[in-house]
Amino acid sequence: MSDIDKIISSKLPKGRSLWQDGLRRLWKRKLAMICFAVILIYFLLAGFIYAAELFHWHVGPIQWQEEVGRQYESPGWKHVFGTDIFGQSVLRKMLYGAKISITVALCASIISIVIGVPLGAIAGYFRGVTDEIIVWVYSTLSSIPYILLILAFAVVLRDKALFGYKLTGITTVYLAIGLTSWVGICRLIRGEVIKHKNREYVMAAQSYGCSNSRIIFRHLLPNVFHLVIIDFSLRFVSFIHAEVILSFLGLGEATRPSWGAMINDARIELSRGVWWQMAAATAAIFFISLALNIFGDALRDSLDPKLRIQ
Amino acid sequence: MANTNSYLLKVDDLKTWFPVRKGLMRKTVGYVKAVNGVSFAIKGGETLGLVGESGCGKTTVARSIVRLVPATAGEVIFEGTDVLSADKKRLRQIRKDISIIFQDPYGSLNPRMTVGDIIGEPLKVQKGIRGSELDQQVAMLLSKVGLAPEYINRYPHEFSGGQRQRIGVARALALRPKLVICDEPVSALDVSIQSQILNLLKDLQDEFGLTYLFIAHDLAVVEFFCDVVAVMYMGRIVEQADSQELYHNPLHPYTKALMSAIPEVDPKLRGKRQRLSGEVPSIMNPPPGCPFHPRCPLAEKVCEAVEQKLEEINGKRHLVACWKSREH
Amino acid sequence: MGDNGKLLSVENISTHFFTEDGVAQAVQDVSFSIKNGKTFALVGESGCGKSVTALSIMRLIAGPQGKIVSGKIVFDGKNLLDLKEKQMRNIRGNKIAMIFQEPMTSLNPVYTVGNQIVEAIRLHQKKGHEQAWADTVEMLHKVGIPDPERRVSEYPHQMSGGMRQRVMIAMAVSCQPKLLIADEPTTALDVTIQAQILDLLDKLQEQNGMSILLITHDLGVVAERADDVAVMYASRIVEVAESKFLFEKPLHPYTQGLLRSLPRLGISAKRLQTIAGTVPDPLHFPTGCKFHPRCPIGNSDKRCQSIEPGLRQVCDGRCVACWYAPGYKTEQEKKNTN
Repeated sequence: MSDIDKIISSKLPKGRSLWQDGLRRLWKRKLAMICFAVILIYFLLAGFIYAAELFHWHVGPIQWQEEVGRQYESPGWKHVFGTDIFGQSVLRKMLYGAKISITVALCASIISIVIGVPLGAIAGYFRGVTDEIIVWVYSTLSSIPYILLILAFAVVLRDKALFGYKLTGITTVYLAIGLTSWVGICRLIRGEVIKHKNREYVMAAQSYGCSNSRIIFRHLLPNVFHLVIIDFSLRFVSFIHAEVILSFLGLGEATRPSWGAMINDARIELSRGVWWQMAAATAAIFFISLALNIFGDALRDSLDPKLRIQ
Repeated sequence: MANTNSYLLKVDDLKTWFPVRKGLMRKTVGYVKAVNGVSFAIKGGETLGLVGESGCGKTTVARSIVRLVPATAGEVIFEGTDVLSADKKRLRQIRKDISIIFQDPYGSLNPRMTVGDIIGEPLKVQKGIRGSELDQQVAMLLSKVGLAPEYINRYPHEFSGGQRQRIGVARALALRPKLVICDEPVSALDVSIQSQILNLLKDLQDEFGLTYLFIAHDLAVVEFFCDVVAVMYMGRIVEQADSQELYHNPLHPYTKALMSAIPEVDPKLRGKRQRLSGEVPSIMNPPPGCPFHPRCPLAEKVCEAVEQKLEEINGKRHLVACWKSREH
Repeated sequence: MGDNGKLLSVENISTHFFTEDGVAQAVQDVSFSIKNGKTFALVGESGCGKSVTALSIMRLIAGPQGKIVSGKIVFDGKNLLDLKEKQMRNIRGNKIAMIFQEPMTSLNPVYTVGNQIVEAIRLHQKKGHEQAWADTVEMLHKVGIPDPERRVSEYPHQMSGGMRQRVMIAMAVSCQPKLLIADEPTTALDVTIQAQILDLLDKLQEQNGMSILLITHDLGVVAERADDVAVMYASRIVEVAESKFLFEKPLHPYTQGLLRSLPRLGISAKRLQTIAGTVPDPLHFPTGCKFHPRCPIGNSDKRCQSIEPGLRQVCDGRCVACWYAPGYKTEQEKKNTN
C-alpha cells in the first residue's frame, strides 16, 4: 500500500483527452486558425460595442446616428463606405450591425442547444413513447417551411411581454430563430445517442448500477458533444442569415442598424446607383460566413474521431 | 444435483424472446427466440463455459442474467434470490456482486473518461467512495491487472487492445464481485495478447476466489479455461459436460463438428474431419423438432418431429440433447 | 531458385503512411515470392502490415497519406509499380483478384449479387449480358450456392455471412485470375462456415490452378491450408519457410512464442505460455530488432538492441531474421568460414 500511496501523492502524468487531441490538430491547420481569428474579431467587435454602450464611450460605431456628411456621399477617404440617405456613416452602421448579428446568432444558438440537446438525448436513450412524442413534435415543426415558421413566430412574439419583459425587435428575432431551429441539433443528437447507447461502455455502466440520468449526462453527452460544437460552427452562419432575412422583411430590429436592415434600405438605393450600403453589409456577411464555414469544416475534421487516420 | 445450496448461480429454463414488430401500429407478428429454455448452474469458485457460434444466444444469456435485456420467462437464482423478479434496490445490490467483462476492448471503455474515472466509477456509484481513497483503490486495481498505477490519468485511446482489456478487467473487479461474466473477453485480441489475458483471469480467480461464466466461440479457449462446458445451438444448450469429458467423449453431432472444424497447428493432433453442410437456419423460423436436424449427418424421422430434452447420459455430469446419442 | 514457377515476387517493398503525427512505416523491406498454383500465407497479428502488403500489391494504397516508397512487385514478368493506372486497372480483378474480410461491406447493398458479378465479368471480358448472366449462375453454382438461378437475383442483405463470402469468391474468380489475394477471408465467419469456405478455396485452386495469397492471423488455418508461409512482425517479415517445416520447428523466437501461446484442444495446461509486452506502435518502433523488448534472448542482448537483423537464408528454403537463429551468419562470419 505504501508504494501506491507514494505514487498517488507524486505528480502523475496527465493523459491527452480526445478534446486536447482534437484542438492540437486544429492548431496545426493554418487556414482554420486565420478563420478563427476573423471570427474572433467579429465577436470582439460585438463585445466592444456592448461595452461602449454600457460605459458611454464616445466611439464611432455607437454614434452611428450622427450625420457625418451629405446624403449619399460615395466611398472615399473621408467615409470609407460612403454615407446613407440621412448622411450617416455606412461604416459605422456596418460595425454596429455586427453587434446585432452576433447577439442574435449567439442567443439563438444557446436557445436551440438548450432545447435540442436534452430532448435529443432523452428521445434517443429512452426510445419508446417518449421518443415518438419528441419525434412527432420535431417532424411537425420541420414539415413547415422554415422561413414561414420563423416569420410566424416573429409575428406572434412581436411586442409581447414575456415574464414582464417586453420583447423588442432583436429579442423577437433570436427567440423566433432559436425556438424553430432546435430540430436539426435534436435529430443529430438523437441519432448519435441511439448509436452510442448500444456500445458496450453504456451497457457496462448499466451493469454496475449507474442511474439513467448519470448515463445520459456523464457517459452519452460527453461522447456526442463535439458534434454540437461542430454543428453550431456551421449553423451559426445560417442564424446570421436568418437575422438578415427577418430584418430584410421588416420583422427584425427596426430602430438600430443591422445588416439585414441595411440591405433592405439598399434595395431602393440600388436603382439610383447607390451600391455602397449593399456592398458594406454583404461584405460583412460574406467574411464571417466564409470564416465560419472553413473553421467549421476544420473543426469537424479535427474533433470527430471517426475521421482520424489511424 | 443433490445440494442446490452449493450453487452460486442457477439458471432455470431461461427464455429471452424479442418481439418482431411490423406495420404502422407496431403489432407483434412473431418472436425471435434468442434464448429458448436454457438451464445451468455454477458452483462457487468454478468456471462454466458457454460456447457456440454467433447468433446462438450466448451473449443474450449473459445479458439476461443481469437484466441488461429483459427475460421473457424462467428463473435466475443468485445466492438464493431470483434476479428476474428482484426490485430496484435488490437489483442494484446484485449488480454489485455480478460484473461483466465485455468483448470489445475499444467499445467497452468510455473514450472521454480517464482510466481512473472508468475503473473508479463503480466504486463511486455503488459505495460513494471519493477523493484520495478512490485513487488508492483504483491504483491498487491497476497494479492487480498488471498495469502501472501511473496510468490513472490517461485516456483509453492511449492504450493497446490488450491493455484496454486489462482496464476492463480492473473495472469488473472494482466492486469485489462474486460472479464475473466474461463475454468473449479475448476474441477481439491478438494471439499473443489473448494468452496474457487468459492467464490474468486465471490468476485473479485464484486470488479472489472468483466464479466465472465464460462465454466464447472458440472451443479451444473454452476447453483450456473452463471446468464445465455447455455448447449452445439456436438458443438451447445441446450438450454440457466437464471440459475434459467433453473433449474426450463428445456426444452431440454438433459438438463433434465444432471440434473438428477448429484448424489445428499440429498435424498429429488433427482428427478426422467432419464437415457440416449448410448453415445455421434463421432464428426467425426455426425448423421443427431438433433445431440441428437439417445439418445433422445422423438425423432421422424422430429428430425432425420431436426435440430431445437435455438429459444426463452416463452418470458423469454429462448432459446431451440428442436422440441418437443414447444409442451408443 | 530460378524465375520459373514463380508467379509473383515482391522485392524489398516499403510502404509508408505520412500522418499528422509522423511517418508510420507500415511495411518495411518486405520480400517474398509466390509459386504457380500454390498457397502462400502471410501471417501476423493486427497492425503488423500484412494487409497493407496485400493492398500494395494491388496498388490500392490510399494516397496522399499512403505511398509505396521503394521496391519492386514483379507479376508475370512485369513490375506492377511501373504500370500506368489504366494498365493496372486491367490487371486488378482480372489477373489478380481480391476478397476481403468483411463480406457485409464489400458488396454493394443496392444491386443484386447477379448484377455485381455480371459487371465484374463484363469489365474484363468481351461478353454479352446474356452470356455473362449465364456465366454468373454457373459461377454461383460452382461456389456452392444452392439454387443459384433464384439466388442470383437476390440482394446481399438477403444472404447470410457465409453466402456473401461465397458470392465474393464467385466474383473474384469469375475472370479466372492467376492470383487470388484473400485478406482474412474467414475471420468474420463461424468455425463451421470457415471450414466450408476454406474447402471451397482449395477446390477452386485445384480447378483453376491459381495461386492464393492468404492473409490471416490464424496459425491453425495457415498450418492446414498454406504451402509456404511468411510470418510478419512490426512491418517486417521475420521468418519464411515451407509451412510444414515452420510448424515443426519454428526458428524465430516470435514464431516460437506465438505457437506456444495458442490454447489447443486436448492439451490441458494450468497456464498458457505468453509473449510478454505488446506490439510496438508503428510511429515509435524500438531500435535494433523490433522484437527485442519482448524476446527472451534479445531483451538483454546488445546486438539485438542496436542492430536490426535482415532476412537471410539459413538453410534450404528457410529464411529468418534473428541473430540467434541456428545457421544465421553475418556476411563477415560467412567470409571467415570460407
